[in-house]
Amino acid sequence: MGRYIVRRLLWMLVVLLALSAITFFLMHAVPGGPFDREKALPPEIIANLEQRYHLDEPLLQQYARYLYDVFIPHLSRTPPGRSLMDDHLININLRVGGLWLKWMNFGPSYHSLSRTVNDIFRQQLPISAQLGTMALCVALIIGVPMGIMAALKQNTIFDYVGMSVAIFGVSVPVIILGPILVWIFGVELRWLPVTGWGASPPYILGFLPRPSVEFFRYAAMPSVALGLGSSAIIARLTRASLLQVIREDYIRTARAKGLAERVVIVRHALKNSLIPVVTILGPMFAALVTGTFVTETIFGIPGMGRYFVTSITNRDYPVIMGTILLYAVFLVVANLVVDIVYAYLDPRIRYT
Amino acid sequence: MRTKLFAVASLLVVAALALTACQPAGTPIVQTVIVGGTPMVVTATPAPPPAGPKVLHLNMGPGDIPTIDPALSTDTSSVQIVEETTVGLTRQNEETTALEPGMATSWDISEDGLVYTFHLRNDVPWVRYNAVTGEVEQVMDCSEEPQPRIVNAYDFEYGILRTLNPATASEYAYVLAFAIAGAADYNAGVITDTTQVGVRAVDTYTLEITFNEPAAYNANIAGMWVAHAQPRWLIEGDDCTEGQGDRWTETGFFQGYGPYTLKEWVHDYYITLVRNPFWPGSDNIPQAAIDEINWVMLDEVPAFAEFEAGNLDVAGVPSAELDRVRADPELSQLLVIAPVLCTYYYGFNTQAPIVNDVRVRRALSMAIDRQALIDNVLKGGQEPAQWFSRPGLAGAPTMADHPDLGVHFDPEAARASLQEYLDETGQTADQLNITLMFNTSSGHQRIAEAIQQMWAENLGINVQLTNQEWAVYLDTIKDPVATPQIWRLGWCQDYPDANNFIREVFAVGGSANPNGAGGGGVGWENPVFEELVVQAAREQDPAARVELYAQAEQILVYEDAVMIPLYWYTRNTLTRPYVTRTFSVLGGLEHIEKWDIAPH
Amino acid sequence: MSAQNKSTGLAEALNGGAGGAPLSRKSESLWADAARRLLRNRAAILGGVIVILLLLTAIFAPFIAPRTFAEQVLVDNNVVPSWVPRVFPSMRDYARISGDYLLGADYVGRDLFSRIIYGTRISLTVALIGPLISLLIGVTFGSISGYFGGRVDNLMMRIVDVLYGFPGLLFIILLMAFFRGTLSQPEPGTFAYTMSEIDRRMGGMFFIFIGIGLTAWETMARLTRGQVLSVREKEFIEAAHTIGAGNLRIMFRHILPNIVGPLVVSETLTIPSYISTEAFLSFIGLGVNPPTPSWGAMISDGSAVVRSYPNQTIFPALALAITMFAFNFLGDGLRDALDPRLRGTQ
Repeated sequence: MGRYIVRRLLWMLVVLLALSAITFFLMHAVPGGPFDREKALPPEIIANLEQRYHLDEPLLQQYARYLYDVFIPHLSRTPPGRSLMDDHLININLRVGGLWLKWMNFGPSYHSLSRTVNDIFRQQLPISAQLGTMALCVALIIGVPMGIMAALKQNTIFDYVGMSVAIFGVSVPVIILGPILVWIFGVELRWLPVTGWGASPPYILGFLPRPSVEFFRYAAMPSVALGLGSSAIIARLTRASLLQVIREDYIRTARAKGLAERVVIVRHALKNSLIPVVTILGPMFAALVTGTFVTETIFGIPGMGRYFVTSITNRDYPVIMGTILLYAVFLVVANLVVDIVYAYLDPRIRYT
Repeated sequence: MRTKLFAVASLLVVAALALTACQPAGTPIVQTVIVGGTPMVVTATPAPPPAGPKVLHLNMGPGDIPTIDPALSTDTSSVQIVEETTVGLTRQNEETTALEPGMATSWDISEDGLVYTFHLRNDVPWVRYNAVTGEVEQVMDCSEEPQPRIVNAYDFEYGILRTLNPATASEYAYVLAFAIAGAADYNAGVITDTTQVGVRAVDTYTLEITFNEPAAYNANIAGMWVAHAQPRWLIEGDDCTEGQGDRWTETGFFQGYGPYTLKEWVHDYYITLVRNPFWPGSDNIPQAAIDEINWVMLDEVPAFAEFEAGNLDVAGVPSAELDRVRADPELSQLLVIAPVLCTYYYGFNTQAPIVNDVRVRRALSMAIDRQALIDNVLKGGQEPAQWFSRPGLAGAPTMADHPDLGVHFDPEAARASLQEYLDETGQTADQLNITLMFNTSSGHQRIAEAIQQMWAENLGINVQLTNQEWAVYLDTIKDPVATPQIWRLGWCQDYPDANNFIREVFAVGGSANPNGAGGGGVGWENPVFEELVVQAAREQDPAARVELYAQAEQILVYEDAVMIPLYWYTRNTLTRPYVTRTFSVLGGLEHIEKWDIAPH
Repeated sequence: MSAQNKSTGLAEALNGGAGGAPLSRKSESLWADAARRLLRNRAAILGGVIVILLLLTAIFAPFIAPRTFAEQVLVDNNVVPSWVPRVFPSMRDYARISGDYLLGADYVGRDLFSRIIYGTRISLTVALIGPLISLLIGVTFGSISGYFGGRVDNLMMRIVDVLYGFPGLLFIILLMAFFRGTLSQPEPGTFAYTMSEIDRRMGGMFFIFIGIGLTAWETMARLTRGQVLSVREKEFIEAAHTIGAGNLRIMFRHILPNIVGPLVVSETLTIPSYISTEAFLSFIGLGVNPPTPSWGAMISDGSAVVRSYPNQTIFPALALAITMFAFNFLGDGLRDALDPRLRGTQ
């Protein structure tokens, strides 16, 4: 298993390189650039801008420069400073000869002129991650029990009502549910804050918020709005999968052995029925963390979702590249974790 | 069992949340009390909270402010912060657009009108906010007995040169490059010796600027935000200060000298300015009355929700909500509709098929019922536009003195005009293949759909609608080949003069007419028009100017019907009754040091 | 699987059957058995009926809808029928009543009811094409990947990883820039021209298909792969190998029927996401051009006025929910009907 993980991580590097190439050249192929304005800028100004960001170099050279900055750790004598061009995520003081080992410089933002992409990662990624995690928790807390109950009481009123609620959850998109929640709980009842987020740096381990009532008050509505749709998917999938597993022979054997129904379900059926659920948890989590644009706009949450979409409109190349690579890492790691959990859940699955 | 546990746990969590979020403090408590045998309704209002600092809660609009560095600022949100935290040599009044003194109490103009000598005041210190003490403090210099740093001519000289420095890559440097002698060469990298640029600090409080032309707007340009003073020691560092380079505007480092200074800026979330007690105040730039200004960065719809929840003091009204706001007894009192110096229009590609004929263009323009559009779709009290340069600009005609100028709704005349064209080409209206393009947005789509219908009903023409993403759209409508037949844009003032509108947009080389007859934008050249706008720019007599512009407008919107003016913008703002405020016409750039909050 | 069934049947026969089933039974084909079971499922029948009704609505829209979808009466913008303010009392202050519109009118005075009816066309097309693409590509991809395992699996899943992270939005903007609008008069014979012609012939749906095709099948591929991985280790697969069944036969005849359950269910659940992809594409200019209505676009248009005129978004959302119900119960019924383990039972 260990070797398998290492091999997957190496493959992740390949995936990232492929994605970086696709995105880079696609990005430059799309018409429009970062300095297009309604009233066109004079050529000298554009020349200055392009020089500052190395956009006047040939494309391949720009790409090579980007690969060097992001993927290759390099030694440097200058300690990390204030410059926007020299901001690395990882800086290690080698304490020998005044050398520093620096790695992962995603570049400055073309639109937010006092920030680098790393700044955006450090400050706003944890918030999207927190929102995504909370939404996933909501989805699981609502979805799994509902699915189990519906499967166990199949074709009864519990089943129909539960699944109907699930379908409604999927049919009502965030863009409707969000404002309605805000209207009821934020404006009319004033129980919960209308916009904003309840966590600020420093974060534990870089992204965990310090637990507080404030945090849950701010997270309540956005997590529910975002997670409700996913909870429906989880509920349906749990139900379908559990129904399938219940009819397996080994469940019949367990019942025949005289085990209590609860033990049969929990100890034997549940684990295997969760495989399809776990499959989608990985990409679902990644999608929740990366797909928070509408939620963040409605609830005024300073996460990465908003930033990413506007960076495309602004043609903010470093932010676009950085965000796509970051999301790719999320997805690959999420899928890797899912595959590992597979093997745990179903011992028959072997990775060759 | 586990399912039930889950259910109970969830209920408990929800209950806990609800309990912690209960009644906010300060709301009146209504009780029914029995007094002497008779039930009475008593309203007990808890004592008001102790008087704290006056804080104003505003919304900046969605998205982070790109920068608050004067040299790099380009958009309104950045300029708003720059204008509060630093002051230019001169300043434009936000309600009258008149020029007023800023840091320069007076200035002398040389005989030839090229050399301006500004005399600065000497009592304004640089300040910063100290988060540890919670106070604004003066910035000290590096001498043995540290003295407060006073804003002087060297700071302005440094600021202007830094903006022009090609390494800074400032976008708005082009304004200074255009106006100041030697600046264009320096900015383009042709010369590197800054002494050849027409900015010189004669002594500590005297600044001399040499311009390229004896224009009336020179003093305006000297007061622009890109020419504000900048703190060299903070950016580059000196003996007692660590240079912060590109990050000098971040929380904890920022230094300014205006009526407010930066307290905290959490990117993409909020920015807070705090009152600068060391700002001495002048006639037109008073000391601030409000202690703190907090801007959040929300989209229009959540911002309006926050206003209704009581957390914002000023908010715009989303057009979708205007019906409800107007009918609401409380909100309708707070609604103010203020003019904004912008025009919304559709442009024609006068070289594209079908719309290359002026009769078709004029027909399309006259077939639009602008008032109906405003009443039913926009609902924001906008004004139907009969020409392009919005009334209120210097030199622009107004509805009062030119009520019949330009184009207005006349379906009969429109049909007649179109019929002429149809007869000549032997076609019917529904055979005409015309496309209208706009940049992707639900607002533009609504307007386009309504107008599409008007054209179908009044003229029988079925126009196709299509849209494109903004950056791609900008490229498309300026491209000589790809410009669609009809396209949409809006224009807002850079400076409040008709020249900025009609000439800088539609004359050859203008923003909507980049190549004249070479194509792109409107692709149009009319020598009479060109002559008129050049003459109007030079004309000194205001009344004569208006007449010249009126003639130019008539050519633009009626005789050549190059574009369809649709409406003149307004702003719908809700303001809490306890806020005393001014309403800027400069596209939303307010001077908040003139505002106040009454106790409430 | 078939091995298992045979042994059960034999055991039943030898023991005189559980519950006294006769020794000789009429042998049914898989499909007849499935159809019988499907018809017994009331919820599935209801779902099926609704789907058929929707199809009929889509086909006969011009006869059912009181107005066309483009007809605007500007002064009637945002009007509501008299019963709506009774449901939403806060609307009484400002809502204008009109008896002419069954569900109310939108922001330019178009009849909501008619637009919902016409919108059935677009939404049903999307709802059918999406799963088709997803199942075709995704299931094939995932099955091959999961079945062969090893290097093939690794490579194929890494390709899926890259496509997951693929900047779809960028790609779509690129498509939009090259094939729509920019080339208002593209030269005949160029690739761009051919593309826009195809698009025009399909009523503006071409890029919707591309957009959906880009995003639809990856999750299905992973889901399928996961299921295949867990099923391929089962004994009956081993048995099938032993008797010399070819790979293809094993995949389609043995593995697929066993995993089809969660796949179909998951697919029916993703139909709203196809509709919202379509709404998003329409919004950024790659979908159907206005005034052609689609539920997704109506929902997102209505979300701007959800406080003031909730009817404009709730009714299209209801239409969507009903469609979802129908597809879900039908899908459930199909899954139950096709489940080989239920074969021969009620």
